Amino acid sequence: MSDAIKPDITMDLKGMACPMPVVKVSQQIKKMQIGQVLAAETTDPGAYADFPAWAKSTGNEIISTDKKENVTTFYIKKIK
Amino acid sequence: MEKEKIQELKSILKSRLNRPLRYYTDTCTRCGICYDSCHAFYGIPKKEYSPVGRAEVVRKLLKKYTRPSGFLFPYWGDAMKLGDAVLDQVFEAAWSCTGCRRCMVNCPFGIDTGQIMGVAKHLLIENGTAPEELIMLADAAVEKGKSIDQFKEGYKQVIHDLEKEVQKKLNLPSPDGLIPMEKQGADILYVGLAGAHSIVNPAIIFNAAKANWTLSFFEAVNFGFFAGDPDKTNFIAQRIIKEAMALNVKEVVIVECGTAFRILRALMGKLPFRVSSIVEVIHRYVEEGKVKLNKNSVSEPVTYHDPCQLGRNGGVFEEPRAVIRKIVSDYREMSPTREQNWCCGGGGGLVALDNEDFRIKTGKAKKDQIVATGAKIVVTACENCVSQLKTIKGGYGLDIEVKYLSELVCENLAIQSSE
Repeated sequence: MSDAIKPDITMDLKGMACPMPVVKVSQQIKKMQIGQVLAAETTDPGAYADFPAWAKSTGNEIISTDKKENVTTFYIKKIK
Repeated sequence: MEKEKIQELKSILKSRLNRPLRYYTDTCTRCGICYDSCHAFYGIPKKEYSPVGRAEVVRKLLKKYTRPSGFLFPYWGDAMKLGDAVLDQVFEAAWSCTGCRRCMVNCPFGIDTGQIMGVAKHLLIENGTAPEELIMLADAAVEKGKSIDQFKEGYKQVIHDLEKEVQKKLNLPSPDGLIPMEKQGADILYVGLAGAHSIVNPAIIFNAAKANWTLSFFEAVNFGFFAGDPDKTNFIAQRIIKEAMALNVKEVVIVECGTAFRILRALMGKLPFRVSSIVEVIHRYVEEGKVKLNKNSVSEPVTYHDPCQLGRNGGVFEEPRAVIRKIVSDYREMSPTREQNWCCGGGGGLVALDNEDFRIKTGKAKKDQIVATGAKIVVTACENCVSQLKTIKGGYGLDIEVKYLSELVCENLAIQSSE
């Protein structure tokens, strides 16, 4: 599914210390237009719970997740 | 400001005025000793970045709204009315303080500026002007607590992938079960962070020690505490407490995160399990011979930075040093050290904010300490401290490497052949 998604912005969050991946994504998504998609690449295992929880609490949507080796890309659509 | 908002903020001031806070705000003689105790003032010598300067903002508000004299004669003792400009001062005070409590150690009266800043942060929460990043992180942590069942399977799968790294490091025949989760009756519930390093390195150590342990679904860090929200602080901490009680563990071991350790160990009341830092557990395993280290295997000069919440506010000073001394041949203590060690400037949630220039300036005391040791490797045991020390390294162009204690231990583990 993620092959068809064309993100508007891609962020490299690999190796960042806690809590920067979620902070950086949150800062970036505020700058984007509703409907745009952010691809967030991370190596944090905690992101599997943290990103969905963040999306739920902020009203945004994770439309796809793509894992290649130890890098996971979350495709986040700005909803509001 | 709207009258209703002022009433809400007044009620917070009144509700927070307990006996210690009354003592702290009444007793200060403005002697100024705290000026020289604060890393922020060391880096930016302005009164508003001194402990007494910060505390004065809250003291003037308390004077106005909780004392008859402040109400009737506000010009006596500089009582101050709530307003947008004053709340800007409150913000500057609260978010220039890391809560390291070095000022408290040196204050002749033991005044806890951190507690006074807790009132400042609470006012900002109620006013809706607390840092958005921390509110967002606290809200996400609360949501994770409410919806954890939805995220469990994905998290377990990615943790399973990390088991291969543990297997490889320890030369074990199979990766299966090297990072157990939801293990009923485990001795230890280990609570890590989001990053793989905070799980893999401790997992290597637990497996090397053949510990009966299990990994938490939650992150140890408490963004509710950093934000200054008492309700969210409690909810986020209770997620871990409930998980530990459900699994019936004997001990909860906290990742290298000073604040997470202090909250569970000191601020949550009596708990039906022991709370330890991973630093204490590593030391215990080394002393008991369960984990063996390659002695004197690091010849470069090494120093240790005491995370404020683990050291000064948690009392864990000797354990990390004892472990490091077994590994390194040239250990160099910072000066001053232990209770008097300078804060790095990244604690209290500041490292999550967009304030890098401020943190580089207020990290000057730490930079000067590190440079004076001549160390090439700085070891510490806190995620915030590692981030901030790396910021200081970049900001001042230091030729150093920053390492977690668990990282140093895993790099210098004497691996026994697999059975």
